[in-house]
Amino acid sequence: MPKILVCYKWVLNEQDIKIRPEDLSLDASRAKGKISDFDRNAIEEATLIVEQQGGTVDALSYGTPAVRQSIKDVLSRGPNRLLWIGDPKAEEADALVIAKVLAAAIRKSDPYDLILCGEGSSDMFYQQIPARLAALLELPCLTFVARMTLEGRTLMAQRKPGDCTEMVSVTGPAVVSVLSEINKPRIPSLKQVLGAAKKPSEEIALDSLGLAAGDLTPKAVRKSPKGFLMNRKNVVFKESDAAANVAKLVASLKAEGLH
Amino acid sequence: MSILLTEEQELIGQSARDFAKEYLDPIVVDMDHTGQYPAAVVKALAEHDFLGLFLQGEYGGAEAGYVSLVEAIENLARSSAAVASIVINHSLAAYAIQRWGAASQKKDYLPALAAGSTLGGFAVFEHGPTPGVGASALQATRVPEGWALKGTKAYVRNAGVAGLYVVLACTDPAAGAKSLAAFIVSAKASGLTVGPLAETMGLKGCPVADLVFDNVILAESALLGGIADGNAIVTETLALASVAEAAQTVGIGQAAVEHAAAYAKTRVQFGRPIASLQAIQTLLAEVATDCHLARLGLRVAAQLLDQGEPFQVEAAMVKQFLARFGSKLLIDTVQVEGGFGYSEFMPLPRLFRDIAGTTLLEAPADYPEKTIAAALLA
Repeated sequence: MPKILVCYKWVLNEQDIKIRPEDLSLDASRAKGKISDFDRNAIEEATLIVEQQGGTVDALSYGTPAVRQSIKDVLSRGPNRLLWIGDPKAEEADALVIAKVLAAAIRKSDPYDLILCGEGSSDMFYQQIPARLAALLELPCLTFVARMTLEGRTLMAQRKPGDCTEMVSVTGPAVVSVLSEINKPRIPSLKQVLGAAKKPSEEIALDSLGLAAGDLTPKAVRKSPKGFLMNRKNVVFKESDAAANVAKLVASLKAEGLH
Repeated sequence: MSILLTEEQELIGQSARDFAKEYLDPIVVDMDHTGQYPAAVVKALAEHDFLGLFLQGEYGGAEAGYVSLVEAIENLARSSAAVASIVINHSLAAYAIQRWGAASQKKDYLPALAAGSTLGGFAVFEHGPTPGVGASALQATRVPEGWALKGTKAYVRNAGVAGLYVVLACTDPAAGAKSLAAFIVSAKASGLTVGPLAETMGLKGCPVADLVFDNVILAESALLGGIADGNAIVTETLALASVAEAAQTVGIGQAAVEHAAAYAKTRVQFGRPIASLQAIQTLLAEVATDCHLARLGLRVAAQLLDQGEPFQVEAAMVKQFLARFGSKLLIDTVQVEGGFGYSEFMPLPRLFRDIAGTTLLEAPADYPEKTIAAALLA
């Protein structure tokens, strides 16, 4: 029976983030956390596999101490156990640092048959973690997976890396990142929500992972994220002749470069 | 007591919101037009444990408590107040049986109610006066088999779709409605018929009809609580209804506020969004404040209920407050949206009709002041 690990990120809900009109800076002071959208698909896929075949699902996350808020949410969605690392350093971590931390935590655990990730996080959407994780763990990596079946140790996956598809099989442990179309994440029932508190969750101290200071120092540093506001041009064509209005509209669009 | 939600209560509210977006948003307009009972949605509600939300675990309930119940009701009502009404009226019957039922009654009825395989209904009103006042149109008389029920209950929600009803009937014609007793009545009971569905102003999709009892014979075991417990069952269960309907009203109000705020940001007048006008900002700020304060009040009442404390006065206060502010809230939000908001293709007319129902039903609007005054002046 498969032993699956699913990685997820606890992110701010983008719907709660306001853009300050004066300087386009982001106001996240009232933003609540949520499990990153694609990661919900990864959690659901792992849960579906063990519901059909037996086995276990562990969840793993590295984030700021706020990741603690995700414990019951993620466990209500199916995983049997949660491993989490909550440290303020995560605030500045780039994709390489995150991957190193996750890989170090995975190396400390018993081996997994499959490691699932979402295609990218809802906040940064670097799309780097699965590939970097696979490289660090020396495992094959399948990205953009839209459909998959696991038979024994062999995974059959349909990849959708753009406007084409391909079937890929891989035997043995692998890192797989999934697209949102792979499934529809469940809405946990109330008993699943309340049952989450009874499942084990283990905090892993960042300094227990044996990483050097350099491993935790981001090379890519984010500077002043800004929002994007689309301003209307408020142009109204008021000719009495509709054809003339259309002609003016077309000319205007062409002038804007919309050919 | 904390007015802040626990993590589980927040997650339950979020589950209800996610459920509402997935199952209710796609059907709510059609349901409002056709009045069709949403059987598939009720089945899904059961699968997600909303129908056994506060029932004890030994009967298959989620045992999530009453704060969780009001969180769920508000978040369902933000999408469909009619579906919230179905849940509320089911919950009233389940509450009455859990609170006053004998061990055998709980064992016989609560597992099916918790699982949602049986929907409940609470039949307390009549075409005459408020429950507990004056004569009663439904009489329960002793017969060798137990009890015989003759008469009519009116405005019964979940009528025709419920599998069982908790029914209040008068056991002493001389004492009238002061001698109420509660009975558990199967929808399949011989002699029980459901009248034509009532045409209602709002909350369409939650069926309402009379229940007509033509010499319905019940075993002695159908009596819920003692023969003198009926009025207490009415008072306390309707107090729960007040709290749950307050959550329903706040849910409708929250939906209206959010819609009006979004509209104000996109509607341009005089060359700028109307949201930049102070008059619009004032209207929105006032209704958002009313929603927030009402939510706090009803959470306190629900917490008292969770703790087994008396909650009827606090329930009456939120009912009384929302009876007034509910309609005003919709008037103000329609005002923000102007002629567009008044149009039937916008959601506010439906919310307007629904909020009229939530502030009028189950506990009549003149009822809460009496409860509050009685506590003040005792």
